[in-house]
Amino acid sequence: MSQLSSKSGLKQGVIDGLPLLGGYIPVAISFGVIAVQAGFSTLEATLISVFIYAGASQFLLVAMVASGAPLWLAVCMTLLVNVRHVVYAPNLVPYLPQSKAWPYLMHGLTDQIFALAHTRLPLMDDAKKVDWFKGVSMVAWLSWIVGTVLGGIAGDSLTQQWPILDSVMPFALPALFLVLLAPKFSSKLWSATLFVTMTAALFLALSAFKNAAIPLAALCGAITFYLLTSHVERKQSHAR
Amino acid sequence: MHVDIWIAIVVAAIGTYALRVVPLLWTQRHFNKHKANNTEARLPTWLSVLGPLMIAAMLGASLIPKAPSAASWIATAIGTVVTVLVWRKFKSLGLPVFCGVLSFGVAFGIALV
Repeated sequence: MSQLSSKSGLKQGVIDGLPLLGGYIPVAISFGVIAVQAGFSTLEATLISVFIYAGASQFLLVAMVASGAPLWLAVCMTLLVNVRHVVYAPNLVPYLPQSKAWPYLMHGLTDQIFALAHTRLPLMDDAKKVDWFKGVSMVAWLSWIVGTVLGGIAGDSLTQQWPILDSVMPFALPALFLVLLAPKFSSKLWSATLFVTMTAALFLALSAFKNAAIPLAALCGAITFYLLTSHVERKQSHAR
Repeated sequence: MHVDIWIAIVVAAIGTYALRVVPLLWTQRHFNKHKANNTEARLPTWLSVLGPLMIAAMLGASLIPKAPSAASWIATAIGTVVTVLVWRKFKSLGLPVFCGVLSFGVAFGIALV
């Protein structure tokens, strides 16, 4: 991690954001394809990616609108899927220097940007943090927009011509999460908690609760953390 | 496209942005208040615990291959092991991800043959 100090914040942000391309572009292409199939134009699909910019909920919104579901319900479900975002910014605040830019930059606070920022910002000089965030979130946002445009214009033929784009590149996202999470396996308590959370998310995502897998798994992890913490405290008080 | 669909999209966009920015403004105000009083501001424990847990949950959910099959699951296992091993050796960001994706692709290709 020593390279963090030698590059400018913007450049470091762009470099740190590059692994996201492997995950964002194929998913955004899929979104472009599905949105066009659902009756949206490429421009409309792109505007959704520009302004909503939240993966799973965009698919849900487009599918519900296309199926003729009530619009208020489509909006409520979109926001329900995105409600997990409320815990991201507060976890970053202790590492953010004063700047008027942060509220505007929060548009780019996706799951992956949060995971990157939560790991990288504590290691960085305050002076570089705003530029780093601009760099990393710009790479992610632009790749999401470009992927949507490509999906809308070229459709399925793109992934059929380049199957590697669809089947191999998305592994960049779990690999990135793995690297970001690895330093947090620092104690037995955290290792057990994180393992339970990961396993719960895996099984929930394979079940009917796919859209709620992340918050439900985090809840399982939190319960595990508190059970283990109180167990350790009880043991310590018995030992005294 | 109908105007009402556009209104729904605009509401969803504003709502999603609010879910990201309002907690930031609220927490910053809380921290600034403590700073003004010369006291140390801390996040509630439950909130600071949720940060790493959300990343772990995203990892678990993202491990599922797009088209689950024996080949893609084996490739996922190999890609995961390689990513962890390269991270343990180099403790960097890009190289473990690159090696993980590469090994996933190679393993997936071999398993398909």
